[in-house]
Amino acid sequence: MAKIVGGFVVPHNPVMYFNPNGPRPEVAKVIHDAYAETARRIAELGATTAIIIGCDHYILYGTQCLPRYVISTGEIDGPVDQLPGLKRAPILSNIDLGRHIAEEGCRAGFDWAVGRAMAVDHSIAVPHHLMLQPNPGIKTVAVMLACGVDPFLPMARARALGEHIAAAVASFPGDERVVVIGSGGISHWVGDENMGKVNPDFDRLVLDAVTTGDIDRLTGLSDAYILEHGGNGAMEIRTYVCAMAATGAAGGHVVAYEPIREWVTGMGLAELKAA
Amino acid sequence: MSRDTLEKVLYDLSASGANKKAFAAEPDKFLGRYQLDADERALVLAYDVRALADRGVNTMLTWGFWLQAGRAHGDYLKAMRRQTVA
Repeated sequence: MAKIVGGFVVPHNPVMYFNPNGPRPEVAKVIHDAYAETARRIAELGATTAIIIGCDHYILYGTQCLPRYVISTGEIDGPVDQLPGLKRAPILSNIDLGRHIAEEGCRAGFDWAVGRAMAVDHSIAVPHHLMLQPNPGIKTVAVMLACGVDPFLPMARARALGEHIAAAVASFPGDERVVVIGSGGISHWVGDENMGKVNPDFDRLVLDAVTTGDIDRLTGLSDAYILEHGGNGAMEIRTYVCAMAATGAAGGHVVAYEPIREWVTGMGLAELKAA
Repeated sequence: MSRDTLEKVLYDLSASGANKKAFAAEPDKFLGRYQLDADERALVLAYDVRALADRGVNTMLTWGFWLQAGRAHGDYLKAMRRQTVA
């Protein structure tokens, strides 16, 4: 049977691509080295598939239809929002696992919206670029949660969805070794008057909860609290909750953290143990 | 009428090059597709991103709306901070 062997929470910051020389070189190197370390760990874990949990930024889905959660059940390509050095291209998809999770979800009460030929944005493509492309052959299942556009996915549902993903992977009749990647920024304010602000206190709170497996602490944060202390971009920590739940909220460790105003984000990367 | 239609206008402009061209060429005609009242049309035509955000429009859209017109990011922040944009 398939097995979740590990996980990560990481940013998917497009500003890294638009403004690579914004921060001091030694600070940027910390982050690039951290992504390289996660790629190395993915290889060490023997992963064959990554479930990347991202979030739309009003790029993929418009006012005509705003899904709460979506999973890839066919081919994947992206990013739709191309970046310098990261152009739109096919992403190797684990179609069978995506379909299995969607079908199991239907039985378990999670009526997934599905991407039968799914285009993704940078929230999937950036971790794919930096963490999976160094490990050729690893397949992807793309999951998108409603974190950037209201109505937002409730925190409790993000957790339940992660638990459902774990159960579905465990029942997949294959020998896949799966890592789960929660893709989102910690504190960042996108498009509002506070853009460029970073809140290291909020970032530490989140990373402490991630690394101690304290999922209740994260799901206990109200949207109002997150918006005030972490900004609208920090609503993306729903992806962390989902990844934590999928890996059994067994704790982990911070790979790197830097509050980088030039990249308008608290840049934190952490590895999650699998329970 | 609603912030939802305002978001639809800004989303459509961000998602389609053809829409961007149509809006740039004939903004009144382009906005005629949408159920906007006179105040809302004026806000869009004036690129009044602050007022749009105050009406609840998602700021990822207001930022993209500003940038798709070739306007500077620094000026966007000034507008959002209610500072004078040159």
